[in-house]
Amino acid sequence: MGKNLPGYFGEFGGRYSPEILTEALEELESTYQKLKKSKKFKKELEYYLKNYVGRPSPLTYAERLTKLWGGARIWLKREDLNHTGAHKINNAIGQALIARFMGKKRIIAETGAGQHGLATATVGAMFGMETVVYMGAVDVERQNLNAKKIEMLGAKILPVTAGEATLKEATSEAMRDWALNVSTTHYIVGSAIGPHPFPTIVRDFQDFIGSEARAEFKKRNKKLPNAIVACVGGGSNSIGMFHAFLKDKQVAIYGAEAGGLGPKPGEHSATLTYGKTGFLHGTKTLIIQDEFGQIVPAHSVSAGLDYPGVGPEHAHLSQTGRVEYRMVTDEQALDSFLEVTRVEGIIPALETAHAFHVARDVAKDLGKKKDLIICLSGRGDKDVTEVLRLLGERK
Amino acid sequence: MSKIKSLFESGSFKSAFIPYFTLGDPNYHDSIEFGKTILDNGADILELGIPFSDPVADGPVIQRAAARSLKNRFSFDEIFRVTKAIHDHKPETPLVYLTYFNPIYHCGITKFLDRAKESGIVGLVIPDLPFDTEESETLFRELKVRDMDLIHLVTPASEKKRIQALSKTSSGFIYYVTSFGVTGERREFSVDLKERIKFLKDTIRLPICAGFGISTPEQANQISQYADGIIIGSAIQRVIEENGSDKTKTVTALADYISKIRASIS
Repeated sequence: MGKNLPGYFGEFGGRYSPEILTEALEELESTYQKLKKSKKFKKELEYYLKNYVGRPSPLTYAERLTKLWGGARIWLKREDLNHTGAHKINNAIGQALIARFMGKKRIIAETGAGQHGLATATVGAMFGMETVVYMGAVDVERQNLNAKKIEMLGAKILPVTAGEATLKEATSEAMRDWALNVSTTHYIVGSAIGPHPFPTIVRDFQDFIGSEARAEFKKRNKKLPNAIVACVGGGSNSIGMFHAFLKDKQVAIYGAEAGGLGPKPGEHSATLTYGKTGFLHGTKTLIIQDEFGQIVPAHSVSAGLDYPGVGPEHAHLSQTGRVEYRMVTDEQALDSFLEVTRVEGIIPALETAHAFHVARDVAKDLGKKKDLIICLSGRGDKDVTEVLRLLGERK
Repeated sequence: MSKIKSLFESGSFKSAFIPYFTLGDPNYHDSIEFGKTILDNGADILELGIPFSDPVADGPVIQRAAARSLKNRFSFDEIFRVTKAIHDHKPETPLVYLTYFNPIYHCGITKFLDRAKESGIVGLVIPDLPFDTEESETLFRELKVRDMDLIHLVTPASEKKRIQALSKTSSGFIYYVTSFGVTGERREFSVDLKERIKFLKDTIRLPICAGFGISTPEQANQISQYADGIIIGSAIQRVIEENGSDKTKTVTALADYISKIRASIS
């Protein structure tokens, strides 16, 4: 049992959720296995990704950043150009199609930065499904634009005030809602976290990012890139970016996680650096916890990275050394946010700004005539108010 | 024979009364008094909650209790000390822990079980540890060595195949979740509750105790007609929440509530 079961990545993953959810998770798993093989489902998913989301997203050569950083050539996988402005819509559409197939008329979601909530509210509107989004009360404040958009789309936002009132609490509350309404409701988990089969389903629906980037880069350059970089909170954009490259041993892979204000517990969300093995929100993974196994509140300037756990596949990739995860502080992310905005004319999400910071160092280390792809997971319109506030504090 | 098994086989009650409360709410010192009061007024088995920061299977009342408890300095030493004090008050009443798996895992399974047993604990309920995990199998094995029980939850959604499989690594009693959702008081239960419990009794050779949502003596009386035990948590925790700052008042209110429930199921 355990490690060799589906749903485990090495020692991480599995299904550690309340018994009331087990039948629903098993139904989800068997439905997904069936749909995965169905040509009709594949065609339908591809139809919406092409005609609604706008896939494939382009691979932009970032000429000015390349020049400024003076190292490897920089390429951007432009998930910011997707409808709703981030990679989250890929998974939301996929899971909404599964929900529709299972006859569930209500969808729920948790959200941190609001991008997954926005994506879920969008597919809820498009497919005519009742939608409820759980969002920490603190995040409703700092990501107010997204919160307003979610409501405008006809979804209901339920602000969660327990604990730190951020993504961790929103996730717990969504799980409770699902336990109560499991026969009518599908819970669209937004990151590659949660009990099996969620980490696999989310990874598969985000796999388009890396597969497209790999194919396009190869077509244009007749080779593979030397390195790829993405930011990691729960880890959905990054696992989507990494997965297609995992077997390409010549491609170095880097994840950027939130170092927040510093190394003290409660000041960061650097799970892969400081986390220990444990059990949270239905999965066995690395978690920031105290000496007694109580979960320590996370912190990051970006609400989307503000989570004390991480997807179990990342925990495994970290343990095996296939991916190198580095920490980026709030200040460094803010600097990268401003740099990319001014140099490339692209306002990245604060989450993605963490990846840019790591990419700058990697590009310099690689040197010229090498190539590096950054997953630009989402656009930063949602972060503008918060960034202005932080810049005000700097003065 | 485990202490819980011999209790159910003793035939000393028609239906067991199994109250629950969270240790450390509002403080560990008062928890000892609350535990003694509950034991004195008619608990057949007592469930003690070890607080966890993220109790996903619990409703708002128990979530708030855990949050209040964690404002005090949490330590396993304190948990075991308080448990032992409650156990010493009435050593014949079985005590079980209800907690999430992460604190146990972090403490170390064997270390946790040795210390829990020394403190008077005879069984565990872990809402986020399904029976079909490697960790549950390890835990069951380690518990068996110590003559302690692993009490599993069965829900209205659990299918027959799963229930049959679960019975292999389950002991003590089955915690039957009466309704969908999380812990908390409810006005109504699923219509087929009686049939479902009968089905479970026929499928698993263990006492079937019902919990999640029961709060009034009337509900307890009605469900005790066909369940082997009644588990009440949120309603007790609400008494502590409403009166906890005044220990004397809480003790009186708890004594009153516990004795009423006990009387309703005799």
